[in-house]
Amino acid sequence: MTRPDEEPAPLVGSWRILYALVVVYLFVLIALFYAFTVAFRGPR
Amino acid sequence: MRFLDWVVLVGSTLTIVLYGLYKGRGSGTVSSYLLANRSMPWWAMGLSIMATQASAITFIGTTGQSYVDGMRFVQFYFGLPLAMVILSATAVPFFHRAGVYTAYEYLERRFDPKTRTLTALVFLVQRGLGVGIALYAPAVVLSVIFGWSDRWTVVLMGVLVIAYTVFGGIKAVTWTDVQQMAIMFVGIVAALTSAVLLLPGHMSLGDALFLAGASGKLNAVDLSFDWTNRYNLWSGLIGGMFLALSYFGCDQSQVQRYLTGRSLRHMRVSLIFNAGMKLPMQFLILLTGALVFVFFLFEPPPMLFHRAERERVSGMTAYGEVESRYREAFTARREAAQSLLESRDAPAAERFDAARRRFDAARADGIKLTGGPYNDTNYVFLTFVTRYLPVGIVGLILSAIFAAAMSTISAELNSLATTTVIDLYQRHVRPGASDSHYVLVSRLATGFWGVYAMGFALFGSRLGSLIEAVNLVGSLFYGSVLGVFVLAFFVPRATGTGACTGLAAGLATVWWMSRYTDISYLWFNVAGCLVVVAVGTMLGRRSDQPI
Repeated sequence: MTRPDEEPAPLVGSWRILYALVVVYLFVLIALFYAFTVAFRGPR
Repeated sequence: MRFLDWVVLVGSTLTIVLYGLYKGRGSGTVSSYLLANRSMPWWAMGLSIMATQASAITFIGTTGQSYVDGMRFVQFYFGLPLAMVILSATAVPFFHRAGVYTAYEYLERRFDPKTRTLTALVFLVQRGLGVGIALYAPAVVLSVIFGWSDRWTVVLMGVLVIAYTVFGGIKAVTWTDVQQMAIMFVGIVAALTSAVLLLPGHMSLGDALFLAGASGKLNAVDLSFDWTNRYNLWSGLIGGMFLALSYFGCDQSQVQRYLTGRSLRHMRVSLIFNAGMKLPMQFLILLTGALVFVFFLFEPPPMLFHRAERERVSGMTAYGEVESRYREAFTARREAAQSLLESRDAPAAERFDAARRRFDAARADGIKLTGGPYNDTNYVFLTFVTRYLPVGIVGLILSAIFAAAMSTISAELNSLATTTVIDLYQRHVRPGASDSHYVLVSRLATGFWGVYAMGFALFGSRLGSLIEAVNLVGSLFYGSVLGVFVLAFFVPRATGTGACTGLAAGLATVWWMSRYTDISYLWFNVAGCLVVVAVGTMLGRRSDQPI
């Protein structure tokens, strides 16, 4: 149930979806950073 | 510094201050002076939140840390987006509906006056230490560039920031934060671009990244788990999340930014904005430090980045011999780097590693000449900027460093004054006075904390890497204070006495951990919070007791 002072989230309309997108974004960034780390480890 | 650099630095700094004063005019009521009449849009709060966290230390210390230790510090911020989501869904609605001026004011409504006062005092001690360090960092900039003493630069910077913060209130602080964050973005891009353009002519960005990676500087993610390892994926995600929860949810210097929001939606979006921007920004700053390292593989770096120390030891008899060995080691390292770049095979990588070790050993011999604890991490980036960057860009990056310093210090002074006045003075010393009286006391409190910060900053040179010092100080308190708020929000049976006892137990536990274990400081936040919640829950009222 939405409280009277709760306006919908921007862009996606739902706060839950917006929060889920932030979490997905975080793990995509971590995956990219990890790929960056592995890609430039240097020859061993 | 050449004339154009001075024009950029002085022009941008004065423009920002004057703009802030203009926007802050008419702050004649407590609500206006401390909360901007709750009228701020999300984007201004979001930028203000970022600007408050991004101090001059972010530029000076983080780039230097990447130069020395690689990019692994980025993992410190992995928990931040998670914390933004949790706060947006939980704490922010609580604060919004309570209509409070400070986070600690909420605790009196939920618990009792002593819990509010105790957490307010913890904040004042903790943030008082932090603002001193935040003031010391830009003083380092001036002392390195102009050879001034740290003492005088602390006083000069302190007086400027105090004057502007006292006069303008939070509206001035927030609107200057917006401008300052814009300058910081430009400064970050300018520094990174300059670091790329100044690489030797034969080297592409890919080559530079290859060498940085081979030197272990692009270690952005470490999947291994080790309690004593400061920065890995797990300490960043879990410890960093607890730290961010506490910093953005319980620290008045951040809470006050989004309490100025014109609606709950604006408050929440300001935090989500921060969640999206922070990690890429820190990544770029750290990448700049790694590229500066590659630059100094081909351009001889000074044996000691701290100019005053270098000049002091250069008169010693042993200096010439150590310096000569250092130069030879640099030449060998440069040739090994060039060889690795051409062959890109394991034997060349091993020769490069050996050359790097010899170079590091030669530098360590130079450091021994200083005869005491020596850490020049915070001088690396400044040396690069002032020696090698083109005219105009130097002024721009210094403007960004000054903007970062001013935004953090002003917000911290503003929040220290707010807590002092709202949670202590108005609550315990003089309740029921007129609005204009509290505005006057708020201005005086801002001035007081500014003077205090200057006093603390005068001892800044005794600290090591500034960035870690600030975070270390924070981690001694943060987790425990977070635990009190967790009790307030989520444990109905918790009482004020239980929360205060838990807070004392949490602080004692964290102090013990820092003193007698090798556990990395990011885990202190988790331990402090869990101890407070456990003790507070155990000491809570029984179900048959009335609420």
